[in-house]
Amino acid sequence: MFEKFGEILENRHEYAREWKKRTGGKVVGFFCSYAPEEPLQAAGILPVRIIGGHKSSDKVGKFIAPNIGCSFCRDALGRGLEGDYDYLDGIVQGQTCLHTGEAFWVWEKHLPVEFSYFLAVPHSTQNVGREKYLAVEYAKFKKALEEWIGKEITNEDLDRGIDTYNTNRQRIRQIFDYRKQDNPLVTGTEALDLALSGQIMDRNEHNQLMKEVLEKLPDRQMDRDPGTRIMIIGSVNTDREFMDMVENQCDLPATIVIDDTCTGIRYNFNDVNPQDDRLMAISLRYNHRPPCPNKDWPRRRRIPFIKHLMKAYNVEAVILFNHKFCQPHQLDNAVIERELKAMDIPNLTLEFDIRIPIGQFRTRVEAMLETTMDII
Amino acid sequence: MAEDKKEYFRWVESTYVNPDIDWKKAEIISAGIDVGSVSSQMCVLCDGEIYAYSNTRSGSSSPNSAQNAMDLCLKDTDGLKLDDIHYLVGTGYGRVNIPFCQRAITEISCHGIGANFMYGPTVKTVLDMGGQDCKTLRLNEKGKCLNFLMNDKCAAGTGRGMEVIAEILKVPVTDIGDRSFDIDEEPEPVSSTCVVFAKSEATGLLKDGWSKNKVLAAYCAAMAERVVDLLNRIEVEKDFAITGGIAKNKGVVKRIEKLIGVEALEPKMDTQIAGAVGAAIYGRALYKKQKK
Repeated sequence: MFEKFGEILENRHEYAREWKKRTGGKVVGFFCSYAPEEPLQAAGILPVRIIGGHKSSDKVGKFIAPNIGCSFCRDALGRGLEGDYDYLDGIVQGQTCLHTGEAFWVWEKHLPVEFSYFLAVPHSTQNVGREKYLAVEYAKFKKALEEWIGKEITNEDLDRGIDTYNTNRQRIRQIFDYRKQDNPLVTGTEALDLALSGQIMDRNEHNQLMKEVLEKLPDRQMDRDPGTRIMIIGSVNTDREFMDMVENQCDLPATIVIDDTCTGIRYNFNDVNPQDDRLMAISLRYNHRPPCPNKDWPRRRRIPFIKHLMKAYNVEAVILFNHKFCQPHQLDNAVIERELKAMDIPNLTLEFDIRIPIGQFRTRVEAMLETTMDII
Repeated sequence: MAEDKKEYFRWVESTYVNPDIDWKKAEIISAGIDVGSVSSQMCVLCDGEIYAYSNTRSGSSSPNSAQNAMDLCLKDTDGLKLDDIHYLVGTGYGRVNIPFCQRAITEISCHGIGANFMYGPTVKTVLDMGGQDCKTLRLNEKGKCLNFLMNDKCAAGTGRGMEVIAEILKVPVTDIGDRSFDIDEEPEPVSSTCVVFAKSEATGLLKDGWSKNKVLAAYCAAMAERVVDLLNRIEVEKDFAITGGIAKNKGVVKRIEKLIGVEALEPKMDTQIAGAVGAAIYGRALYKKQKK
């Protein structure tokens, strides 16, 4: 049922090249989920999230020292330098952490594209005036896009873009709702394929595929023991090998029922509420979305959000994954660990590099699952 | 020249059979095999009491290492065979490759249960210093692991690291602990916690005129500091016990105790068999559940 999403994700570069050939449209890569995709969609552009390939590259070390740059950014930049993203016409970065910013600037300088835009996003999405600020920045972004593509992006175009993305996020949430069941009808690995493919493919095509899934999903019969219900907390999760190991290779059964990641529910949790000022409507959505640690201060709003998800999805154990040298999440994880301890929820923190030591991780995950076991 | 051929990292492989137990009279015979990266152990329990165990060096193949541990363990047992064992649990990093095990359970859980058996139910915090990893465990009164932390991606602060230092300094690995105290003044720990760089540093210190004992003291102190980070993160609560091969090295144990201000319980049996003991206890419980 979810195979198509996995196939497209696996062959994402071929997909984008074929899309360009088929539509004659432009493709823009974005690094962080704070880049507003609705205006890009409105302009007839395909927004594609730039992610790594879990492959090493000897080209990155020249630009980002391995013991400084986070593993996700090094991997993503490495794929660019290796030529995987040679079809991109433009790149956009919605300002978040310095690591993604660095990857953007290296890309801009060494992998020149027609259009590159660094979009200022409020450092804290709790600041007074943040919505107005971001709406003004979006206006500048829209103008730059119009100059590049040589035509105006009308309100009707923006409405179409907003509607496509709202539909996309709503359908993802509808499918995720089936993970709340005692025996979830969607595994975590499938959910990752579903959500991540939604960040790299034509959203209208993605919406159509999800519509077909939603028609069949209620009748799906799962023939697996769901075991321990796990939540994944972290930044960008693109690691299918890890998800598959947790759900299919451990000696004890487990299902990843929800996540707090920017490739999962954090990206899909809220919609744009239409209003006359379209850019303000989009600004409200990005300002009020569940925050990433970079934007989540002075008050930590992630904790109540995580607790809400844990309750809604009946979470029994948590895996905190941290990309190596990702300081924003490292800092947050210490607080989240403390909260989980107070709630008596088994949890495990794992540090991810470009490639992961799957055997070592398996031992740790199994040991965490065993803490929920009652043999003696 | 003969001295050069000596393998200083080697420790004596051992076996034990309890002469007071007749396995033929046991209702439940359970066993655990712990295939670690450096050593492998097997432990047989007869009705919950240790009947026999072995402690051997691991080879490159997990199934062979398990087989060797079993052959050695059963050698002097008056005919006990694999078929006589009701339930066998595998543990250790090679646990998934032991063909004759009914179940695999991680070394983390097994060390917790094993420590509870070996040191008693008052043990709340366990430090296992194994061949290539270190782990700290928080246990409940039944020995169940409630929380744990492990080192990552590096063999520093582990048994293998100690073996490497033994070879560099040509000091038998079993002598390191005592010799590390035979010094005039406690030196600063070596600065590097990486086995490879520690080797360079040790060589440099010898060239600077440090005695072997002083270098050993600096290395033991560095190892202690490294694992204390793990202990502090998990928050040590009494009683505290150490398992694994390094638990036999007083040079590391005493320095850990000094750093955390808590004395480790005195071991009553071979600290290296904790994982296999825990696996055997799990085996007994699983067999009882299966019979119900």
